[in-house]
Amino acid sequence: MVEWRQLKPLEWCKYVNKKVKVTAHEKHQFDGWVFTVDPVSASIVLVTFQEKGGTATVRVVTGHAVQEVEILQEGNEETARRLRDTFMPLGGQVLSL
Amino acid sequence: STTISSSTDTETDSVQIGEEQCARSMLRESFLRTLIAMTNKQVQFYMYERVKVNAVFGASDIDVLNFQVSDLQTPIGVQKEALLRCQDVILYSFDL
Repeated sequence: MVEWRQLKPLEWCKYVNKKVKVTAHEKHQFDGWVFTVDPVSASIVLVTFQEKGGTATVRVVTGHAVQEVEILQEGNEETARRLRDTFMPLGGQVLSL
Repeated sequence: STTISSSTDTETDSVQIGEEQCARSMLRESFLRTLIAMTNKQVQFYMYERVKVNAVFGASDIDVLNFQVSDLQTPIGVQKEALLRCQDVILYSFDL
């Protein structure tokens, strides 16, 4: 695999809304649904949803620590919506400078 | 040697650059929203050498090189305010 940090934004986009397993330094492994990849630091944002209470755990693996990313499962519209709802402001709040 | 690309090549390039910029801005906006969601939350940081510390996330600099945190719980006590170098961090985790 080409080094994770060297990928282009369009290549990172292919992982968004999919379930992946990330292998990081010191043999740590984490899995979750990809919300985004920071194009500056290559950090990957993983979300796991708890069945009870509808809470979500967010784990961010820093770009320099990522060794391998493997796709486990394709996402669908429902996954994309859940991920969006977790982070996007409710009621169309607009952020401005 | 000098290569002069044809006009169609240039158009294809600019379409590609446009798509790439669009993807980059979408990814970055989502990442900034992740940082906003993390503000004032209890965050667990996994550092190298299998060190785990907890702190309340405050802010990040624009290049994501440093995190400003409060109430950093270290093995030798609680640090009221601290900066964590992101290069020392493998993973950070929080609940929403």
